[in-house]
Amino acid sequence: MQESGYFSQYSPINGVWDEMYGVDSIREHYSKVIDYLSRESSEDLARKEELAQRLFMSQGITFTVYSSGEGIEKIFPFDIIPRIITADEWAFVEKGIKQRLNALNLFLKDVYNNQFIVKDGIVPIDIIYSCPHFLREMYQLQVPYDIYVHIAGIDLIRDHDGTFYVLEDNLRTPSGVSYMLENREITKRLFPDLLPQCCVRSVTEYPNILYKNLLSLSPRQISNPTIVLLSPGIYNSAYFEHTTLARLMGVELVEGRDLVVKNQKVYMKTTIGLQQVDVIYRRVDDEYLDPLVFNPASILGVAGIMGAYRTGNVAIVNAIGNGVADDKAVYAYVPEMIKYYLNEEPILKNVPTYQLSNRDEREHVFANINKMVVKKTNGSGGYGMLMGHASSDEEIEDYKKEILKDPRNFIAQPTISLSAAPCYMQGGLHPRRIDLRPYALCGPDGIEIVPGGLTRVALKEGSLVVNSSQGGGSKDTWVLA
Amino acid sequence: MPEFKIQHLTKYTYPAPVRDSANQIILYPIQDEWQEVIKQEIRISGDPVIDTFIDYYGNKVGGFTYSEPHSTLLIDSKILVQTKHKPLPGNDIFPAQQWEDLKHLRFMVPYIDFLRLEQFEGFDDLKALVEAEKSKEDTPYQAVLRFSRYVYDNFRYIKGVTSVETTMDEIWKLKAGVCQDFAHILTLMLRLVDIPARYVSGYICTHRSTIMRGEGATHAWAEAYIPDYGWLGIDPTNNCIANETHIRLAVGRNFSDCSPVKGVYKGTSDHRLDVSVNVGYEDDAPSMNQPVEFINTPPEHTEHKPLSNIPKNSYQRYLEMLQQQQQQQQ
Repeated sequence: MQESGYFSQYSPINGVWDEMYGVDSIREHYSKVIDYLSRESSEDLARKEELAQRLFMSQGITFTVYSSGEGIEKIFPFDIIPRIITADEWAFVEKGIKQRLNALNLFLKDVYNNQFIVKDGIVPIDIIYSCPHFLREMYQLQVPYDIYVHIAGIDLIRDHDGTFYVLEDNLRTPSGVSYMLENREITKRLFPDLLPQCCVRSVTEYPNILYKNLLSLSPRQISNPTIVLLSPGIYNSAYFEHTTLARLMGVELVEGRDLVVKNQKVYMKTTIGLQQVDVIYRRVDDEYLDPLVFNPASILGVAGIMGAYRTGNVAIVNAIGNGVADDKAVYAYVPEMIKYYLNEEPILKNVPTYQLSNRDEREHVFANINKMVVKKTNGSGGYGMLMGHASSDEEIEDYKKEILKDPRNFIAQPTISLSAAPCYMQGGLHPRRIDLRPYALCGPDGIEIVPGGLTRVALKEGSLVVNSSQGGGSKDTWVLA
Repeated sequence: MPEFKIQHLTKYTYPAPVRDSANQIILYPIQDEWQEVIKQEIRISGDPVIDTFIDYYGNKVGGFTYSEPHSTLLIDSKILVQTKHKPLPGNDIFPAQQWEDLKHLRFMVPYIDFLRLEQFEGFDDLKALVEAEKSKEDTPYQAVLRFSRYVYDNFRYIKGVTSVETTMDEIWKLKAGVCQDFAHILTLMLRLVDIPARYVSGYICTHRSTIMRGEGATHAWAEAYIPDYGWLGIDPTNNCIANETHIRLAVGRNFSDCSPVKGVYKGTSDHRLDVSVNVGYEDDAPSMNQPVEFINTPPEHTEHKPLSNIPKNSYQRYLEMLQQQQQQQQ
């Protein structure tokens, strides 16, 4: 392997799995990209990086960071060097996610119907019944094809030896898929020859598969059912994504005020009168979806929509009440679920998880808090978590007080060392920590996962937090054929 | 076997027409060994289709919409119901055994929701109080009676000082309220000593000669689970056992699981709510067909009241919308 200028400057982080750099050499699947980069002058690369930024800006590919106080729309930081996954790695990940999602779907059906898994003592009953997202309104409600999770974003990380772990299951309103699609579009413009040379698999089928699945859920057997994407509105962090997906699928983008329920049917207000809605891809949380049944102060929802859903006159994607399956306290039991429902050994590993409602586990966590990450069981986006190794004593003490107020709401995990991938910064390549969120689509024909996903990057040196809302960026994700 | 005719009227009047209303009613008496509905008629202005289903707690729930502009909404429920006296629990089992049995219910599906405690500022005070009140020799049944007596003696019955949104903290400070607050406190006290307790909404049908609290409106009380007996109705507002004179509409964890009438509509937040409940007896003159006067005293349940946290002016409403839209995506 010929060492390029960029590569010779590259120094992998000790004790961390590096996606590009193996034992003393570049991994085979990165070689074509590194060869290509070594032929480019540093001016060329700098130009490409600038072009990428301008494309993001001109196409309005933004992400809202609520607490930054710097204006609500920000460019989603993008690193031009792709993250590459081999065909074998992908086959493993794909198989693992499908298995996991099958089990999670069965779990949701079970927990809202017969509750076998609770009766058999596999998942403790108090964890289910104390979860705020376990919605008794969903009890014995029949959903089309028994599918609860139509769209899942499963977060994967790799430990120091390259082993994949599932960090989180996102089964409610997973976001970020539009950035997966946009990142690829940008890469096509930056490195047009590289994609075919490296045999990178395409991700563009995503909106088509999603549309096909939404279509199949229509309760009315008609040739052109009405499908809408229900957004909270323009101030939502993922509004760019809502508009992009609606556009790519050719479905209506609506807000709660555009819909009305009449006799257990949902209608969309149009310039030519009411039009019945068959399928709703909603990006509004359960709590806000129906002010009649859930939060009465909600102005984002549609009053009576739960009744229409219960009677089967409208399909809602993802199903309501999925939060009980991606609750971080329930997460710890997913490997058990796989064994229980599928009679299989879990393919993907879970990160060890301590339940802080359990006194012994809590004491162990408090004693070793420097090696722990503590998270809220129902939080997301990296808000409200504590990274033990990077927090002051005062922060830790304050957080402990929070935990003791309601221990059920917290879990802790040992700090896992995320894998690193090369990023182009300051004119050279530097390793930064990454994760991977593939998007799985579940329809009547089974589970399909487009080969790719969103690779999020912790852009700050040494940081382990990749969440976009915490200043993380992203990379194009290549799965090789 | 007592038989009661009940007419329950709920009338909303809006100063300007409102539209697109979606409503939920829980006005169907529970049917079991002790309570039989012989006849029920529900009429709603605008004649909407009512779609009913059975909820998680086994209650029959109705839903209807009313899209056209309207200035009044009248829900008229007439019921002919027959009840039976449920024999009271015996005291022939050793108390220690009964308390032991209760401990095993904590992780069982039918009871787990009715043992869940809620945190509030006065929680520790309430806990201490319950410990002090409880006597070691009590059977669970005796503890239920004792706690009901406590609530009856120590909380004043005052209409209008609380609403459906009054928090436990406020009730605890006020030491006053109406039936739903009395029921709320009692369920908490019972749960603190491991007795599963649930909230019940319904009607109180007393004999003509006695006047009981909670007449003329929907009433609320509690039910406690007694081992080897089942659910025992207990009415802390009147400090009595809720038996054949209490007609049960719904059971749940709390008021919001049992809310008899609630709705959401588009239009002015101002409105007036009139509720009346009239009870007649089988041998009475046929009151079912007679017009019923609306009471003008403040109704006990004002579910439809505008929410106190809905901002009044449009700028504040805009801020509220902005805040709601910023919900975290996963």
